[in-house]
Amino acid sequence: MRIIDMFSYAFSAIRLRKLRAGLTTLGVVIGIAAIVALLSITQGLQTAISSQLQRGFATDTLIVSAGGGLGGGNEFNLLVKDAQTIRELENVTASIAVIQRICYVKSSGLTRRVTVIGVDFVAYRDIYSSTFVAEDGEIPLNPEEDAVIVGKQVSDPWNNGTLFCTTGDTLEIIWTNTTARPLRNETYTGRVVAVLREVGGFTVGGPSDSRVYIPISKAQSFFGTETCELIIVKLKSDDKAMIDSTAKAIREALGSGVTVTSSTAVLNIISNVFSTIELFLAGIAAISLLVAGIGIMNIMIVSVMERTREIGILKALGMKNRQVLLIFLCEAAIIGFLGTLIGIGAGWSLAQIVVRIFGSSSGAGGLRQAGQAVVSNGTTITPVLTPTVILGAIVFGLAVTMLFALYPAWIAAKLKPVEALRYE
Amino acid sequence: MAKTIIKTVDLRKTYMQGKIPVEALRSVNLEVEEGEFLSILGPSGSGKSTLLNLIGALDKPTGGRLFIENIDVSTLNDNQLADLRMKIGFVFQFFNLIPRFTAKENVELPMAIAGLSKGVRGKRAEELLEMVGLASRMNHKPTELSGGEQQRVAIARALANNPRFLLMDEPTGNIDSKNAFEIMQLVKKLNEEKGVTIIMVTHDQRLAAEARRTVHMLDGMIVSETVN
Ligand SMILES: Nc1ncnc2c1ncn2[C@@H]1O[C@H](COP(=O)(O)OP(=O)(O)OP(=O)(O)O)[C@@H](O)[C@H]1O
Ligand SMILES: [Mg+2]
Repeated sequence: MRIIDMFSYAFSAIRLRKLRAGLTTLGVVIGIAAIVALLSITQGLQTAISSQLQRGFATDTLIVSAGGGLGGGNEFNLLVKDAQTIRELENVTASIAVIQRICYVKSSGLTRRVTVIGVDFVAYRDIYSSTFVAEDGEIPLNPEEDAVIVGKQVSDPWNNGTLFCTTGDTLEIIWTNTTARPLRNETYTGRVVAVLREVGGFTVGGPSDSRVYIPISKAQSFFGTETCELIIVKLKSDDKAMIDSTAKAIREALGSGVTVTSSTAVLNIISNVFSTIELFLAGIAAISLLVAGIGIMNIMIVSVMERTREIGILKALGMKNRQVLLIFLCEAAIIGFLGTLIGIGAGWSLAQIVVRIFGSSSGAGGLRQAGQAVVSNGTTITPVLTPTVILGAIVFGLAVTMLFALYPAWIAAKLKPVEALRYE
Repeated sequence: MAKTIIKTVDLRKTYMQGKIPVEALRSVNLEVEEGEFLSILGPSGSGKSTLLNLIGALDKPTGGRLFIENIDVSTLNDNQLADLRMKIGFVFQFFNLIPRFTAKENVELPMAIAGLSKGVRGKRAEELLEMVGLASRMNHKPTELSGGEQQRVAIARALANNPRFLLMDEPTGNIDSKNAFEIMQLVKKLNEEKGVTIIMVTHDQRLAAEARRTVHMLDGMIVSETVN
């Protein structure tokens, strides 16, 4: 029997039970749609985040922090002057200390809670030359002690042109000194010299839209500290061997209390986390496809029983066992293929709808807590449907339907002609 | 002397009804020559259908030998049996047409199974339906045809792959007498004009007499033979 005739025979059988075939197909549609929607959203999220990360990260930098990992700290204190020690190491072109405190800033009667960063403006701009850029005003080469640079979101928090503060404004900075007894609010008045261009996305150590920057010397005196939270180290290049050897040198110079993190390592960790999440979600979605597969098996067993006599006729007319098997597999293939195609379309539409509903602003917000130094801003997610996902869905959808159809088809193939013909 | 196309030697078939063996065929010896029109007559339960199913390779004997064109059927595997069935035309009491197919599609089916192209089998199906007198009803489904018409479709279908012989199990058992007569005329014409070898099972004396030779069965054995 020709393949085309097998398919047309299978198709005629499907057409006979439209509702049943439709419902069976629906199972496949739902399973595939779930997989495609989840994969295209997570991949979209991943693309969005990694593109933001690429922007916010300088791959030739190392982040030095105290204790166990990013932002953590125990007994060991990282000192501002450690930056000097690091600067003298081989392959290091710049090394700057970052002091970081939660403060309140007050401008024209309004108060906002922000993270204030004490940093050497010029060195910082050299490292993050594409993101630490003034949109308004100018980053001073020799900043006054009261100079303040604000992120875009601090200046324009409502994103509608109603500014909280802008270049030339004075900004009262209030910090609660928790080591003083009784607690005391320290206050000084700064002057906004520049508003940063919008950065967006995440960063480790790099500039962010929601922060306020003051000179490192002012931070030291105002917060009354010699310690810093991070030291950002810029290397000659992002060569892997150089990153590793310098990281080792830093650990040797400062002792085992420091953690040296390379930006690429952070990128890798984040992308690993995403792969895991993606796999997990796809796994859950795959279960729904398995359920659909069981549905197919169930329906097909019923169908084989109903059509026992028909199978007997086919065999009496000379059809071989293998051909009977193939006819039933063809039926499953038609349902599987149709269901998969519709499922891909449905999943893609679902992804678009989900992204619209949950919107751009909150999309990546869940990662806000991912690390003290990792910051998220509005990240727009566009679902991504790669050819790999499409092909994978087709292969997987077909494979599952065929696999579950195999047993019923085998039952059909094994029927004895006389017995099948006698079946009422 | 025409050549023998079917030969059974001590053919036996025992069914197990639960634990009780039922001997449906007990040593059947029969020879059928090419071009013959043979009827098998016997009361209900005498083993006529059992014998026909064995000759049609739809079932396997429990003992004895069955030769079709000198090939020992018991040595064939499932695939070879399927190939053999393709060369045997079977006509059933209950027609056994595929309800969702039209008359023409039903006649095309065995040719599709044999791997003929759509064009070839369509043309042949039309010729066959014309021959059985259904030229005007080719695109009707079985439910839109009378019993007699359905059996004609079944006969056309049985002839589709130019079978070695035609096996008919009570072909008029489900048809009123007027139509039954017409079917018998058609069967006789096939035998006389086209030289088709025919074995027909019936329990009706008068129908059996239409054949040139009749074997009488009783309790799973051939008890006598008459030439009409
Ligand atoms: N599948 C089966 N299992 C058990 N016994 C069977 C089976 N098929 C047939 N028999 C028995 O074998 C014997 C012969 O049956 P068979 O159908 O060949 O008779 P028949 O001559 O065709 O009868 P009828 O004229 O009623 O069709 C009967 O006793 C029947 O009960
Ligand atoms: Mg019978």
